[in-house]
Amino acid sequence: MYFAGVDIGSTMTKIVLLDTDDRVLSAIKGPTGPEHRQLANEVMKTALEQTGLQLDDISYVVATGYGRFNVPFADRQITELSCHARGVSSLFPNIRTAIDIGGQDAKCLKINNGKLIDFVMNDKCAAGTGRFLEVIAATLGIRLDDLGDISLKSTKKIQISNFCTIFAQQEVVSRLSEGEKLEDIIAGLHDALASRVAALARRLKVEPDVVLTGGVAKNAGMVKAMQENLGCELLVPEDPLITGAMGAAILAKEHALEAIAKGEPVSTKPRRLEKATLFH
Amino acid sequence: MPDKSRGLKRAKEIYQNRSRRVQELKAAGKKIIGYPCVYVPLEILTALDLVPYRTCGDIKEPVTEADRALPTSFCPIMRTCLDCALKGKNDFLDGMVTVHSSDPQEKTARVWESYVDHPYFHFIDMPGTVRPEAMEYFKSQLNDFKKTLESFTGKKLSADKLKAAIESHNKQRALVKESYELTKPTPPLISGIEIVQVVKALMSLPVTEGNELLTQVISEVKSRNDGPKRKPARLLIWSSTLDDSAIMEIFESGANVVMDESCGGIRPYRGSVKLTTDPLDGLADYYLNEITCARTFRQAVIGETKKDYKKDLQSRFGYLKDIIKKWNINGAVLLLVRYCDPFAFEMPSLKDYLDGLGIPSTYIEYDYTRGALAPLRTRVEAFLETIS
Repeated sequence: MYFAGVDIGSTMTKIVLLDTDDRVLSAIKGPTGPEHRQLANEVMKTALEQTGLQLDDISYVVATGYGRFNVPFADRQITELSCHARGVSSLFPNIRTAIDIGGQDAKCLKINNGKLIDFVMNDKCAAGTGRFLEVIAATLGIRLDDLGDISLKSTKKIQISNFCTIFAQQEVVSRLSEGEKLEDIIAGLHDALASRVAALARRLKVEPDVVLTGGVAKNAGMVKAMQENLGCELLVPEDPLITGAMGAAILAKEHALEAIAKGEPVSTKPRRLEKATLFH
Repeated sequence: MPDKSRGLKRAKEIYQNRSRRVQELKAAGKKIIGYPCVYVPLEILTALDLVPYRTCGDIKEPVTEADRALPTSFCPIMRTCLDCALKGKNDFLDGMVTVHSSDPQEKTARVWESYVDHPYFHFIDMPGTVRPEAMEYFKSQLNDFKKTLESFTGKKLSADKLKAAIESHNKQRALVKESYELTKPTPPLISGIEIVQVVKALMSLPVTEGNELLTQVISEVKSRNDGPKRKPARLLIWSSTLDDSAIMEIFESGANVVMDESCGGIRPYRGSVKLTTDPLDGLADYYLNEITCARTFRQAVIGETKKDYKKDLQSRFGYLKDIIKKWNINGAVLLLVRYCDPFAFEMPSLKDYLDGLGIPSTYIEYDYTRGALAPLRTRVEAFLETIS
């Protein structure tokens, strides 16, 4: 049997196909863009091509992420908080705290025996999210992927006092005009973001093991800044973007096997890639 | 003979077109007085034959006009209420009476008085503690309120009329409590969404018409067999104001909301006013001591929060213990409207109190705007996933 987890985040759409033995057959990422429904179909098609499976072969599909209601072939929607918790727990069995910094929000999850027990999320604004770094990278004309390495060259971290993305952007420009070094400013920005997220996380008790996920976890400068701000070691999965989709796929498997054990029908949705239409 | 099958439908119609009934009454010669908060003693308005009408904001209406009068980082409820007033949505009001329920409310009252033209305007200065001296002061405020209304209406307020009004409003409180008895079964006989609509309808009608509506609703709900479905959780919502069913729908997509401890739910109705020789004594006692809004601080020992934290929590939140038991509640959402300091300050202690009772709770902050509903949905669903 095969199971799928589809995670439509604000920036990236991710899919994971699993078999009954939790082997990852396919893990695909693509930018989300405005057409969720189209994209859910596209990533599923690519994953199927990669594995040689047909859509009918997938026993159960769980959709997650803020676009979870826009996956036409999903059997069930589960929030990204529960899916992340399940996904990171499969990689790090001793996890107690997960911090996920995505494009649109930052969240801290408390986990016990693989299950989400409590959480906090940031406010809706961009402060404390990956968008903060995206905006700053664009302002500085630097590739997002290069920010982390540049920040690691810093010898004198500049204090950035603004959490607000727009105000921080102005602060960066004024610091540059004062002649401060780019790497020091970028290190300061990472610290500003990390202190904001760490403050959020401290609303719950941060207990080890602590795992950092989400697109921002790919940035080595951010991992360092988060470790400094939390005062503890952080574990980072090999692919920190995929944990939500992975958790969704695992929950899909668990749900399907439970249904079978109870003698209930497994799938609830027709397995077809509907013609994509928005607001349908 | 009232049609007993139409209570909920009528409540929904009034909820959707709130001012229609008071505009009819106005055309027939009645005077309509707006009020923004549970702390305005409606009994005094009713006794002088005035129709109280709770002014609300609109979650679907972007705030534009209020931004010329209020800071943007300010209570979103106050902003949308004033915005609607500045856009002429309350132009039928003959007057407005407001109260110091929070600092933004007080500041907005001043702005409201200058920017919105009502023939009558009054502000009640409400003490923030329950000390005996506060009671004296509050009673003198109610006396002032009474005098300004007497001069506005040209009528003297008689003690008998005030007692009769207190009885009518107490009857309304009793009927709302009776409606909440209907959320005790599993599944509840009436949904949280329906209650939001009924309560908002009550705040748009004269008290006697509201009581008729409630009687119809209760009899209809008791006899129908297509009530709410059983959901995995029985929730308590604790909030300042929850007056839009779009918000309640988010909770009820995965849970039954069996108790709404907010101004759009049971808070204005849980107690009842004592009939005292001077009716103003009973009113002052009820509005200062009985209403459990976070704006009034109820320490166990005044001035000493830390002396005995457990006793202090009991003094501030003890009323919830009984509710949680009787309504068989298994989860609580502490819903905070952004920038609402009085409620924000209570959150950590309330969470401690609920933890002590073994009730899982989550604290969610949101903006009172339509755009805030999708993030709110994710947080609520995730909380329900943790407790199911």
